[in-house]
Amino acid sequence: MFTERFLRHRRGVHLEIEERARLETAIGEIKTLPPRTNVVVAGEELSQSILLLEGFMSRYIDDRNGLRQLVAVHVPGDFVDLHAFPLKILDHDVATMTAATVAIVPHSELEAITEDLPALSRKLWFSTLIDAAIHRAWLFRLGRLDAVGRVAHFISETNVRLMSAGLSDGRRFALGLIQSDLAEICGLTNVHINRVLRQLREERLCVFRSSLVEILDPEKLAAVGQFNPAYLYIDLQSAEAPSSCPRPIT
Amino acid sequence: MIEFSNTPQPLSEPGNASAEDGLVILDGPNGVAITMTADAARKTGDSLISAAEIADRQADNMA
Repeated sequence: MFTERFLRHRRGVHLEIEERARLETAIGEIKTLPPRTNVVVAGEELSQSILLLEGFMSRYIDDRNGLRQLVAVHVPGDFVDLHAFPLKILDHDVATMTAATVAIVPHSELEAITEDLPALSRKLWFSTLIDAAIHRAWLFRLGRLDAVGRVAHFISETNVRLMSAGLSDGRRFALGLIQSDLAEICGLTNVHINRVLRQLREERLCVFRSSLVEILDPEKLAAVGQFNPAYLYIDLQSAEAPSSCPRPIT
Repeated sequence: MIEFSNTPQPLSEPGNASAEDGLVILDGPNGVAITMTADAARKTGDSLISAAEIADRQADNMA
């Protein structure tokens, strides 16, 4: 089932069996994409949206000098550009960060869902509102937090999102990103990110090595990042620990 | 007009500058987190000291 992770363990929303089945039939194509591949270019008219099944994707905006600010990172289960359905033209680019598997959903199918299944439409709307909540948290992160706080916030957030997707046990997860990705997410230079990661490791809060993250002290890391997961609307009680989580490199 | 009491305020805590891999990293105050070349850091430092002296005089005049 391709939509298994969509809205998984979200507080206040549950996809009924027939709704999930309808969403499955809406998928037109499954694609595997290589890392660092642009899938949406700002300003181009779109007729489909992308549900991320495996891997990591980003939304980003480049400044006039070509320097990049990531404005969103997407994890498996995210409907990456569902907002393109009503907007049709996006103001930012979308790309894979790692190798990714995606489900392509034509807008004509989404149109049919909005006409036939209003309850499912509201749940799709719900998912875009979570995106908006995450954007607000990212604004807070960049506007109010220092360097170590920004990284701590991002790692704490990603951990909870991956717990919801069944890809973190709450302390360990695979994060196929490199330090320059973290730099573009947190608005820091590579050398600054390197220093922050060393500080987090030395303070026994978190280790990021070989694309694996091990959180040694989740509570303290969240405190450093002023992270409160409420905005993710995830039912942490039901986000059970998966048995196939990556093991840390020791 | 609504007056907000929790808008950002002038900071009384200094930032912390350190050297890393031939660059200068400035952490704080507050959400400041930047990396500069040594030359840019030196010029920024000079500019800060100069502005601080002017600000001191302005504060004296207002007292």
